[in-house]
Amino acid sequence: MKLFQATIIAVIAAVCCTVGSAYQRTADWGYQPEQSNVKAEFAWSRLSYNSNLGSMGYRGYGYGRWATWQRDYPKADRQFLIALNRLTRIQGRPTEQVVNLDSDDIFNYPWVYAVQVQTWSFSDEEAKRLREYLLKGGFLMVDDFHGTADWENFMNGMRQVFPDRPVEDLENKDEIFHVLYDMDDRFQVPGEQYIRTGRTYEKDGYVAKWRAIRDDHGRIVVAICHNMHLGDAWEWADDPDYPEQFASMAFRVGLNYIVYGMTH
Amino acid sequence: MFEFFFKYPIPVFTKGRWVLLGSWPGWLLPVLIVASVVGLGWLIRSRLSEAAPIMHTWRAGTIWLLQSLLVTLVLILLWRPAITVAELKSQQNMIAVLVDDSRSMAITDSGDDGKASREAAAIRSLNAGILAGLQKRFQTRVYRLDGGIGRVAKVDDLQPTATATHINDGLKQLAAETADLPVGAVVLLSDGGENGGGVDLETISALRNRRLPVHTLGFGKEQTKHDIEMEDVNLASRAMADSRMKATVSFRERGYSGGKTVLAVRDGDKIVTSKDVTLGPDGTIQTETVFFNAGSAGVRRVQFSLEPLGGEENVANNAMARLVSVSGDRRRILYVEGEPRWEYKFIRRAAEDDHGMQVVSMLRTTENKIYRQGISDPQELADGFPVKAENLFKYDGIIIGSVEAGYFTPRQQELLREFVDKRGGGVLFLGGRFALSDGGWGASSVTELVPTFLPSGKNTFHREPATAQLTAAGAESAVTRLVDDPAKNVERWKKLPYMMDYQEAGAPKPGATVLAEMNAGRAKLPLLVTQNYGRGRTAVMATSGTWRWQMNQALGDPTHDLFWQQLLRWVAADSPGRVVASMPVQRLMDDGRVHLSAMVRDKEYVPAPDARVVAHMIGPAGASALVDMRPVPNNAGSFQAEWTAEKPGSYVVEVTATRGTEELGRDVLTFERTDGVAENFHTEQNRELLEKLSSQTGGRYWKAEELRRLPSEISYSEAGISVRDTKELWNMPIVFLMLLGLMSAEWLLRRKWGVI
Repeated sequence: MKLFQATIIAVIAAVCCTVGSAYQRTADWGYQPEQSNVKAEFAWSRLSYNSNLGSMGYRGYGYGRWATWQRDYPKADRQFLIALNRLTRIQGRPTEQVVNLDSDDIFNYPWVYAVQVQTWSFSDEEAKRLREYLLKGGFLMVDDFHGTADWENFMNGMRQVFPDRPVEDLENKDEIFHVLYDMDDRFQVPGEQYIRTGRTYEKDGYVAKWRAIRDDHGRIVVAICHNMHLGDAWEWADDPDYPEQFASMAFRVGLNYIVYGMTH
Repeated sequence: MFEFFFKYPIPVFTKGRWVLLGSWPGWLLPVLIVASVVGLGWLIRSRLSEAAPIMHTWRAGTIWLLQSLLVTLVLILLWRPAITVAELKSQQNMIAVLVDDSRSMAITDSGDDGKASREAAAIRSLNAGILAGLQKRFQTRVYRLDGGIGRVAKVDDLQPTATATHINDGLKQLAAETADLPVGAVVLLSDGGENGGGVDLETISALRNRRLPVHTLGFGKEQTKHDIEMEDVNLASRAMADSRMKATVSFRERGYSGGKTVLAVRDGDKIVTSKDVTLGPDGTIQTETVFFNAGSAGVRRVQFSLEPLGGEENVANNAMARLVSVSGDRRRILYVEGEPRWEYKFIRRAAEDDHGMQVVSMLRTTENKIYRQGISDPQELADGFPVKAENLFKYDGIIIGSVEAGYFTPRQQELLREFVDKRGGGVLFLGGRFALSDGGWGASSVTELVPTFLPSGKNTFHREPATAQLTAAGAESAVTRLVDDPAKNVERWKKLPYMMDYQEAGAPKPGATVLAEMNAGRAKLPLLVTQNYGRGRTAVMATSGTWRWQMNQALGDPTHDLFWQQLLRWVAADSPGRVVASMPVQRLMDDGRVHLSAMVRDKEYVPAPDARVVAHMIGPAGASALVDMRPVPNNAGSFQAEWTAEKPGSYVVEVTATRGTEELGRDVLTFERTDGVAENFHTEQNRELLEKLSSQTGGRYWKAEELRRLPSEISYSEAGISVRDTKELWNMPIVFLMLLGLMSAEWLLRRKWGVI
């Protein structure tokens, strides 16, 4: 009987683990890739931030299971870098670079990408460092947060960085959509969950929001991709079940944002 | 004393011609002299064996010498030596007396007590006998001398109030006005303060043609005891708005060696910069460099002044002003970049903050896509790098980024060379993985544009850190000036964050200037090298990693942007337009004559001799004039015109060139006429000028103690109505004294040696 109960519990646990893993389909949870020492002009920099999930015991920069900054990492980054090196004349480092706001090292990487930013949390010093980074010429692209609640959480952090700078909706004519590819026909790019659900949205984020914060010269310093999941599109671009048009759109957006960040 | 021995005054001997009045042939005299000397020698030698032993030495030679001199003197007298000299005829000639009545003659440093004004001392000299002495033998006319000359009825009426001294013009005017008068000589009483720069050859020739001697009497101390005087200010007459200007100020002081003062630069009433100055040794010219912002567009009158020190004798010479035409036109730079990279972004951002600069860029984002930024219209650079001169020459400068030489066609490379050589533009080569040697530029046809000998191999670009430091030339350059203080600037460079990468650019070419070096590992390599090439200039900046200066310094630190703005301005600011107007001087001192030149070129910068060129002069109080400029023969595209600015003040000249209905271009320059300012400078007596003037015209510089001889000696002149007088020399006291002396000397020597 005990053996039966143990077996049942083990089966249930295995099923739960499988379902949970399948739901995320993140092949590399807990994977800690080595930082590359290859030198190139451009290094794909992923922002490792402090999460506000501290109350749940997951606060920290670490590579722990719930470190939200590393969603889709590093496969999304590396697949994108393949496209970058293949489609542009940018000399991109083949592997990504993780940066954080704890040190000035971030200033060596003037373009940075952040995901799940509804969970980010800054100390005053970190917010100041990010503000200075952006005003000196750094560029931040944020992705993979959805719906009203995520937006408010994202803005809580953003207001620490820029208390007064407005967030604006980008128009088709904005230079960032034409710097490499003309992208007047943008659409919502869903995450990998689209394969199972057929939905392009998550939570209540029904409409993709292309937003930005500008500096005093009108240059975009924070490009906000709200209600979309470009990172997943890069990560699953090689999945035959993931629609090509979403992956292509995601690559084009990412490439435009990088070229914009390297020219403005 | 001279006349006591020689009977006649010095001018008789200096101006006269030696003659022999004797009827015997002149050639016979040297023959007889030689024969006599030889004969005496033979005689003494032949009798030497019979003479006393004591004479068997140098003593015999001494006797021979004395006797030879005596015979020679006697023989010369037998031929009746004389001097013929031109002498003004009494009461038939006029002496022109010129008295400087400029303001500098009011300085009280003359007279016996040194407290009388120079003018008073000059008048006193005239009244103390010179004028009366002259009037005994000549007619005299007294003139005042300032900007020109004018007759004066009474010497005592002269007042030192004139705003300028133009000795050159005054003498020229005198020579012209008295061409039909028997002027025997000119007497000039002055401190030598010539505001026009000196006495020119034309005036000297005019005086010499008339054999008119100018006798000069100098007044004033030749050296002040306590004074600081501005000597010169070297400052570009044109600048771009908000550009950093470099001025070299030279001055000298007397009596304040080791003292401290302040050099201030003012734009109107506003001090734009100042610098503490420690004064150097007495009398030596000291040079200080100051940097300041040119400000907004317009004509600036920038004044440089040294704070007066206690006891200064003349404070009016402590300041000097210069006009600067500040242009609000934007300079356009074409930036060709072969790959997206951070350096491109941050250079563009630096240029965007410079309102005087427009960087038009073409960036190869993919193999077949070019992203253009800063273009003026959609068609600009739509077909890539220009293939026609008129399209490329619109730009003032070019930046070649990380792009291979092979990206440009041979025609485009030749255009690049002509852009510098013919158009006078600037080209800046940046480091990068497709740049310099790694981009094949060393083997290209335009490698001569690069100011370094590029290494022959590849792999010269390294993504390794390198730090920058200034060279001695860089410490003095406006391009690399991050802070005004030179020493602090050098230190500032040493503290800059490291650059992300560097490139080996090779050794600098002869004539190139290394402004900055970089420390890469143990190697020290050129970082920023400049050179002049043809009408333009080129530079290499052997890195693409200066963007760290922006990202890794405090927010708001201007270092990165300031450096690039200054370097880009160096690249483009001096590129000439199609019309370039110029003047020899832009500050006219008491003289309104303007010599205007213009060089006119067409769209391809080929000289345009068929252009119509008009200068529009706009002066003070609404004065305006249109002046047609005429072509200069044998100098295609060059035009010139003369004009006179009648009133003191600032003038603006707009030169416009047209060909048919097409306007080729226009240029604006400014100049200023200032009256009375030059008189405040060089107030010490310019004895050198007075001596030179008198010696070149056959006159003499007279000292105060010699003046009483002036009326008598001035008559030896070939000008005016003169007669040539022959003055025999045999009866000069010196002759008899010599005869007596030679004979006495021989007798005394013989007595001493006991051979009489």
